[in-house]
Amino acid sequence: MTAETAPLLCLLMVAAYLAGAAGALAPLGPRLTRIVAAAGAIGGAVAGTVLATVVLVGGRPLVVTVPALLSVGGGLALRLDGLGAFFLILVGVVAAPAALYGVGYTAAYQGRYSLRWLGAMLNLFLLTMSLVVLADNALTFLLTWEAMSLTSYFLVMTEHERADTVAAGSWYLAMTHVGLALILTAFVLLIPPDGGASFAELRGAAATASPALRGLVFVLAVLGFGGKAGLVPLHVWLPRAHPAAPSHVSALMSGVMVKLGVYGILRLALDLLGVGPAWWGALLIGLGAASALIGVLYALMEDDLKRLLAYSTVENVGLVFIGVGAGLLFVSLREPAAAVLALAAALYHAVNHGVFKGLLFLGAGSVAHATGSRDMNRLGGLIRTLPWTAACFLVGALSIGGLPPFNGFVSEWLLFQSLLPAIGSTAPLVAPVMTLAVGALALTAGLAAAAFVKAFGITFLALPRSAEAGAAHEAPLTMRLAMVILAVLCALLGLGAALILPVLGGIVAGHAGLPRLAPPLTAGPLLLPPGGAASMSPSLVAIGLLLAMGGAWLAVRLLAARGLRVGETWGCGRLGQTPRMEYTSTAYAEPLRRVFAELYRPTEDLAIEVHPESRYFVQSIAYRSEIVPWFERYLYAPLVGRIAAWAARARVIQSGSAHAYLAYLVVALLALLAISLAWSG
Amino acid sequence: MESWAIEVAQAALVLGLAPGLVGVVRWLKARLQSRRGAPPWQPYYELRKLFGKEVVVSRNASWLFRLAPYVVFASTAAAACLVPALAVERPLDGVGDLLVVVYLLLLATVFLALAGLDPGSAFGGMGSSREMTVAALAEPTVALAIFALALSAGSTNLGQIVARTLGDPAAALSPGHLLAFAALFIVMLAESGRLPVDNPGTHLELTMIHEAMVLEYSGRYLALIEWAAALKLLLFFALLGNLFVPWGVAVAAEPGALALALASLVVKLAVIAIVVALLETRVAKLRLFRVPELLSVSFVLALLAVTSSFLAR
Amino acid sequence: MDTLFARLVVLESSAALILGLVLLWRRGVPAYVSAFTWQSIVLAATAATVGWFGHHGELYVVAALLVLVKGIAIPRLLGRMERRFATQRELAPYVNTATSLVVAGLLVLFGHAVMRPVVAASELPTRAAMPLAMGLVLVSLFVVVSRKKALTQVVGFLMLENGIALLALLGAYGVPLLVELGVFLDALMGFLVMQIFVYRIQETFETIDVDQLDRLRH
Repeated sequence: MTAETAPLLCLLMVAAYLAGAAGALAPLGPRLTRIVAAAGAIGGAVAGTVLATVVLVGGRPLVVTVPALLSVGGGLALRLDGLGAFFLILVGVVAAPAALYGVGYTAAYQGRYSLRWLGAMLNLFLLTMSLVVLADNALTFLLTWEAMSLTSYFLVMTEHERADTVAAGSWYLAMTHVGLALILTAFVLLIPPDGGASFAELRGAAATASPALRGLVFVLAVLGFGGKAGLVPLHVWLPRAHPAAPSHVSALMSGVMVKLGVYGILRLALDLLGVGPAWWGALLIGLGAASALIGVLYALMEDDLKRLLAYSTVENVGLVFIGVGAGLLFVSLREPAAAVLALAAALYHAVNHGVFKGLLFLGAGSVAHATGSRDMNRLGGLIRTLPWTAACFLVGALSIGGLPPFNGFVSEWLLFQSLLPAIGSTAPLVAPVMTLAVGALALTAGLAAAAFVKAFGITFLALPRSAEAGAAHEAPLTMRLAMVILAVLCALLGLGAALILPVLGGIVAGHAGLPRLAPPLTAGPLLLPPGGAASMSPSLVAIGLLLAMGGAWLAVRLLAARGLRVGETWGCGRLGQTPRMEYTSTAYAEPLRRVFAELYRPTEDLAIEVHPESRYFVQSIAYRSEIVPWFERYLYAPLVGRIAAWAARARVIQSGSAHAYLAYLVVALLALLAISLAWSG
Repeated sequence: MESWAIEVAQAALVLGLAPGLVGVVRWLKARLQSRRGAPPWQPYYELRKLFGKEVVVSRNASWLFRLAPYVVFASTAAAACLVPALAVERPLDGVGDLLVVVYLLLLATVFLALAGLDPGSAFGGMGSSREMTVAALAEPTVALAIFALALSAGSTNLGQIVARTLGDPAAALSPGHLLAFAALFIVMLAESGRLPVDNPGTHLELTMIHEAMVLEYSGRYLALIEWAAALKLLLFFALLGNLFVPWGVAVAAEPGALALALASLVVKLAVIAIVVALLETRVAKLRLFRVPELLSVSFVLALLAVTSSFLAR
Repeated sequence: MDTLFARLVVLESSAALILGLVLLWRRGVPAYVSAFTWQSIVLAATAATVGWFGHHGELYVVAALLVLVKGIAIPRLLGRMERRFATQRELAPYVNTATSLVVAGLLVLFGHAVMRPVVAASELPTRAAMPLAMGLVLVSLFVVVSRKKALTQVVGFLMLENGIALLALLGAYGVPLLVELGVFLDALMGFLVMQIFVYRIQETFETIDVDQLDRLRH
C-alpha cells in the first residue's frame, strides 16, 4: 500500500466507527446490535492501524484539512506524523480485541442496560481517541479531547444504578474538566496574539516565547495531561472510574486513554515547545517515580481485582513518565543518543502496558463474568474452571511483572539502561535524581511482581473461597479469542524487540533538536543501547529458557522415576482441607503492609469474643482493616470540604426565580461588554 | 567453536558443582558447631534419591504446580549460563547483562511463589507471601549495586565489568566497590535463604520462608527445586567472587588460563563458603519484621556505593 | 585525584559514615559506644593520613588527642552510664529503623548535592571525601532529632562533633591546633553537662526517655 491510500484509509476509519455507532443505535435485535457495534469498532481499529503503519513506513505524514468545519478555529485540521501514528497503532491494537471481547461480555447486560447506547458510545469513544492523535490545531485537539472525555464518562456510567459507579463518574467528570481547563489555558497562552492556533503556528510562537511563559505552559500541560494519565496526586479518579466501567472499556481506558495523556505531554513538550530546561525532565522523573511507587504500593493492598489493576496503571504510567522525563532531561543536556533511547523506552513501555493491561482487564472481566465477584478474598481455584482465562492472565501477570521473556521485561530493561548514562553525568543534581529514580524503578519492579503473584495466585490457584467461585464457567469464544490475541502480542512484543526498537527510535528522532536519524539501537538480535553500555537479546534469552526447560524435562523423563500419586495437601496431619486454611489476599499482603505501615497508616479493628468460662476458648474473631490513601485524607478531603463550603455560600444567589437568573445573565453580559470596552479603549 | 565448547563446559561445571557447594557449607557449619556433619557430597546422594522416588501431588494442585519446577530450574540455569565463572570472552556475554540475571532469578522466585500458593496449604501461602516480600525489598539494592559497578566499568555486561576491574586493580579497593560488595552480600544472604534472613536447616513453620514454599514438593520435582536453589547459591557466590575479585578469570581461551580460572573459582567459592558458614554459626535468625531493616541497611550501602562512585570520578 | 592520598581519605570517610549509620540500625547502647569508639579511631587515622600526606606535623598531636579523648575516655564514661541504665534500649524511636535508614541514605545524597559546588571549587586532594563528612553531619543530626533516649542522643551529638571535625580536617587540613584544643575541651565539657542532665532526667522521671520531658509543662 502506498502513501496515496492514507487519506482513503483515514476516511475508512472514521466511516467505520461512525457506521458502528449508527448501526448500534439502529433498531436491531440485541444480539445483532452487539455484533454490529463490535464490527464497526474492529473495522475502524484495523483501518486506523493500517493507516498508521502506512504513515510510519512511508515516512510521509498524512494531512487532511476541512476548513468548512469549525471555521472559527482555523478549520478541522488533521495531520498524522510518526508520533501520532504510534499512538494510533496503540489505539487499534487494544481496541480490536476489546471490541471483540465486548460481543460476548455485554451479552450479560442484555435487558439490564442499553446495549445500543453502550455500542454507540464505544464506537464514538474509539473515534475520538483516534482523532485526538490526528488533531493539528488547538481547537480540533481540544474538541476531540473533550469528546473523548465525555464518551468515556458515559461508558463509565454504564452500570448507572450502582452508587459507587455514580461516585466514580462524578470524580472522573470533575477531575477531567479541571484537566481540560488547564490544557486550554496552556494552549491559549501559546497562541500568538495575531496568529492562528494551528500546531505549526504554535511551534513558531513557542520558539520565541519567554522562558517563564514556556515553563508555565509546560507545568500546565503536565498538570492537565498528567491528570488524564493518572499521575500522582491527580490520579484519584482512576482507581474509581476504571473498575466501574465494563471490563472491555476498562481495558481501553487503562490501556489506551491514559496513554493519550502521555501523548499530550510529548506533543506539547517535545514537539511544540522543543528543547526545554533540565528541570522539565527532572519534574517528570520525580512525578513518575512517585506515581510508580505509590501506584504499586496501593495496588498491593487492594483486594478488588479491578482496582488492583487500576492502581497498577498508575504505577506503569509512572514508569512511562520516568522514561519521558529522562528523555527530556537528555534533550536539554544535549545528549541526543541517550534521549532517543529514553524516549523510545518510554514509548515501548506505553505500548506494552496497553497490551498487557488490556489483557489483564479482559481477564478480570472474565472472572467477574464467571463468578459475579471481583473480591479476591471470595475467589480462588479458577485455574481449573477457567483454563483459558487463567493461562492468558498468567501471561499478562508475568509481562506486567517485568519477567523474561515477555514484553514488560524488555521495556523495563530499556528504562534501566536509559537511566544509566545519566548517573555518569556531571550536570548538577542530575546524578542524585537519577540514582533515586533507579532505586524507585527497582523497588517498583519488585513490588509489582509481588502484587501480580498475589493477583494471579489468590484468584486462580488453590481452592475456591466461595460457592460462586466454585461454580464458575469459562468465558464464551469471543472473549477467549480476544484474550489469546493480546497474550500472543505480549509474547511477540517481547521476542521481537530487536525489530521494534529501531522503529520507536525513528519516531522520536527529529523532534526537539534530536538528529533526524536515530542512532542504531540494535545489532542483529541484540538490543544495544547507544554508548555500548550493555546488550541484551530477549529472543535469545527466550530460546535459552526453552532449551533449558526442554533439556530438564527430557533428562527427568529419561532418567528419573516416573511414579506420581495424588494425595492430600499436608495440613499438619489434619485431613480434609478447607478453603478457610488458605492464605487470603489480605493475608498475602500483610508483611508488606507492616513494612510500609508509615505510609498506609491502616485503621484496624480486632474484636475477639471468648468463651465465658475461659479466655483461652475463642468463640469468634472479627478483624476489619481499612486503608484510606493519605492523599485522599490530607489533600482531597479538605479540598472537597472547602469547595462544598463555598458552594453553600453561593447558594445565597440561588433564588429559584427565573427572573433573577435572567437578570444575572444580563448583568454578566453588560459586565463583559464593559470590560472589553475598557480593554480596547 | 572453541568458545562454545568453553561455554558448555562452564555450564556443566556450575551445574555439577552446585550441590557440592551446598554440602560444603553444611559440612563447614557442622564442623564449626562441633558436630561431625554429613560429608560435603551428601547433596548428590539426596538428589539421586529424590530423582528415584515417586512424586506425591496434592489433589488441589493444578498444572502450574507441575510446570513450576521446570521453569525454576530452567531460569536459574539460564541465569547461571550468563555468569562468567571461568572466562571473560564468551559468545553468551552479549545475550544478557547483570540485570537479565536478576530478572531471570526473579522469574524463578515468582514461579516458586505461585507454586507455593497452588496446593492451598497455609504453609505455602505463608512462605510465598514472605518470599515475595523479601524479593521485592531486595530489588532496589540489587539495582543500585549493579549501577555502582556499572559506573566504574561503564557497562552492566558481566564480561566487561570483570575485564575492567582486571585492568584497573586499584578500583577493586575503592569504597564504591567495597560498599557494593557488602550490599550484594546481604542481598545474597536474603535471596538464597541463608541466615539471618531464612534458616535453610529448619522446618519450623514460624521461621521458614523458602522451605515453607516448597513443602508440598516431593520426588523429582523437589530434586529440581533443590538443585536450582543450590545453583542460585553458587551463582551468587560466583558473582561476588568474580565481579569484585576478578583475578584468575581467564582472559584468553587457553588451557593453562582455564585451569587457573577453575582453581581460582574453587578457592573463591571456598572462601565465601567459609565466611557464610562462620556467619551462620555466629548470628541468630532475625525476626521476620526485622528483615526489612536489614534490607534497608543493604539499600543504604548500595546508595553509598553509587555516591562514592560519583566521587571517584 | 586518583592518588593514594585521595583514596585513603575517601575510604576512611566512608568508614566513619557507615559507623555513624550503626546508630540507626542497632538498638543496644553498647553497640553505639563501640561504633563511636571505632569512628573516633578512624577519625584519628584520617588526621594522621592528612598529616602525613599534607606535611602538617601538628595533626599527629590532634590524632593522638582524638584517640585519648574520644577513643578511650569518653567511651569509658559512656560505658559507665550505659551500665547504669542497662535495661533501657532504643525500642520505639520516632521514626522506625527501616525508614530512618532510607532517610539517612537520602541525607547522604543531599549532602553530596550540597557539597558539589564546594568540591568543584576546591583543589585539595581531600575534596572528594567532603560530601561524606557532610553526610555524617546530617545523619548525626537526624539521629539526635529522631531518637528518644537521652543516651542515644548523646552519642548522636558526639558523632555530630566527629563529623564536623572530619569536615574541618578535609576542608582545611584541620583548624589551628589551639582552636582544635578548644573544641575538644568544649566537647568534653558538653559531654559532662549532658551526662549530668541524663542523670537528672533519670532521677526525675525514672527513665531516660526524653519523650517524658513534656511532663515538665504540667
